[in-house]
Amino acid sequence: MAAAAAEATTDGGGKMIILISADGKRFEVTEAVASQSQLISNMIEDDCTENGVRLPNVDGDILTMVVDYCNMHAGDAAAAGDTMKASSTEEELKKFDAELVQALENPVLFKLILAANFLNIKSLLDMTCQRVADMMSGKTPEQMRETFSIENDFTPEEEAAIRQENAWAFDD
Amino acid sequence: MVTPLSNSTKSNEQCDIERKHDGSIDSVAKRKGSLCQQVANSDGERRTRYSGPNLPEDIWCHIHSLMPFKDAARAACVSRAFRRSWQHRPNLIFCIGTLGLDFINKIDRIIKNHSDIGIKSLQLEYDTFCNARRSASISYHLNNWLQIAVTPWIEELILTLSLSSYNVDYNFPCSLLSDGRGSSLRHLYLGSCFFHPTVNLELRNLTRLHLVTVHITGDEFGCLLLNSYALERLELKYCYGIICLKIPCLLQRLSHLEVFECRMLQAIENKAPNLCSFDLGARQVRLLLGESLQMKTLSLDYPSAVYYARAELPSNVPNLEILTICSDHEMVDTPMLPSKFFYLKCLTIDLAWRLSPAYDYFSLISFLDASPSLETFCLEISQDRMENELIIGDMSHMRQMLEHRHDNLQSVEIIGFCYTKSLIELTCHILDNTTSLKHLKLDTTRDVFSCSTGKHDKCFHMGKDMLTEAKKAVLAIETYIEPKVPSTVMLSVVKPCNRCHVAES
Repeated sequence: MAAAAAEATTDGGGKMIILISADGKRFEVTEAVASQSQLISNMIEDDCTENGVRLPNVDGDILTMVVDYCNMHAGDAAAAGDTMKASSTEEELKKFDAELVQALENPVLFKLILAANFLNIKSLLDMTCQRVADMMSGKTPEQMRETFSIENDFTPEEEAAIRQENAWAFDD
Repeated sequence: MVTPLSNSTKSNEQCDIERKHDGSIDSVAKRKGSLCQQVANSDGERRTRYSGPNLPEDIWCHIHSLMPFKDAARAACVSRAFRRSWQHRPNLIFCIGTLGLDFINKIDRIIKNHSDIGIKSLQLEYDTFCNARRSASISYHLNNWLQIAVTPWIEELILTLSLSSYNVDYNFPCSLLSDGRGSSLRHLYLGSCFFHPTVNLELRNLTRLHLVTVHITGDEFGCLLLNSYALERLELKYCYGIICLKIPCLLQRLSHLEVFECRMLQAIENKAPNLCSFDLGARQVRLLLGESLQMKTLSLDYPSAVYYARAELPSNVPNLEILTICSDHEMVDTPMLPSKFFYLKCLTIDLAWRLSPAYDYFSLISFLDASPSLETFCLEISQDRMENELIIGDMSHMRQMLEHRHDNLQSVEIIGFCYTKSLIELTCHILDNTTSLKHLKLDTTRDVFSCSTGKHDKCFHMGKDMLTEAKKAVLAIETYIEPKVPSTVMLSVVKPCNRCHVAES
């Protein structure tokens, strides 16, 4: 079945491939959409996507977001020749990206980062990492640890030393 | 077992990372407790404290590098992994504002701590105006820091001294970048210093060069360009030592050129074949653009630029698509000429201040006539109505120019619309000869800011005379223009604000 679907082509002429999440959810996407993942792009080149691509460390709900993101962003790559379309969607893309990461709870955001890293989708990885960087900014070290559940593994002496060295970063 | 490390040294840390690369996590590495290992341990004793996924250390490193410098320095106090990533941060940004008064010792320490990792980006901002006390010794320290930071790995170097003073005496040590030592440099920004490059300054990967208030002669600059053949963007501002700017054809990749207020500049000659965008703000300057066939975007800001653009550009820059002209001194009307801007889509003309009182706006038809593909035309007028008594003219004899159709023009905006015969004639001409027109916006208030946008509580102040002029302009629009507007055109007229301006008067 998957192989049959994998052979199917869209009206746009793009070949379809199947992505299968850790919990068995199946996503049918065009090669152009999937190729934004460097990992899958390499697999397509090596001709090993025939029976669908199993992604054992990406959950279905996360893969839904990744596929949405890739669908949205494949548009601008495909429409590169069509300047009117490209310019009209730029705003929408920004809005879509902002909304995608804005609402996420930390555990989901981290899962999305891990998925972007595993699938090697640079723009998604950069955007999600930037979101974490933005959330860290303006916080004290204590607040950073609390927000992202990071263990303080310094000895008291070490912590005092680094805080003294970077004391300038604490004045307003 | 935790052994306290009271004074961890760099060699300790690096040893630790090397072991991890080997794949063997020994007791030292475990004790260090990197975030990687926390993930590995997440099913063990730490489960109660850490729920949900964590990120591997290289991702945290990446996140850390995306944070602003000061926040990143604070984040270094979060955990050992963060401290490590801070110490390996390849981008260093210093400005006196964030580092406080005894910044020299701090910069010293941070740069030295980072010296063995191959600093990729160094930004130093120093304001000698605020720190005159230190300016005598700053050269010494700058040289020291650059000496440490500029290694064959450096990709970006941004050095900005005072923006407020031209009288600084820091001489950038070119030897740091000469003989191949600047070969990986991609972006160089120098502000307010002396820069005397010589032939052996080869910057073969430099793609962006910005010089702002830099003392450099035309010959030295020419020499620099000949050795920077990968250049894509070049920006020169307030560099008074350059009299003639020659862009050689060797710069095959140069696509963007910006030249602003280089006061002594008399001529610019471009031979770079792929220059597609050029932004010029100057006094009197001779432009020798040769045949800049790839140039699509051009912005000119200097006296008589409107006349020059119409007379010279069609032959020199035939493929122009976006043209912006700003002129504060336009004494001669625009001539009607046979030459064409075949591909021009967007034209903005900004006429300011010392316009001849008798300037004939109607002559701008010459541009519309020359541009068969034009879609958007914006005219901004901001001459001082107090100084120039506007010529109202006799409205009974309106000039017309038939047989000039503008079949692609869709949007026209006139900002600073005033009660002047030639402007009314221009507007009527556009309405009569442009079947494709969809939007016409006439702004009688100079488009400063208004309360209607929601961003400001109150509109900008309009003086009594300005308000009188604006009211006359509105009357002229109602009398001469509105009756001509077909139903297919959306006319919007920006009038003085009922709430703010009428109350003021």
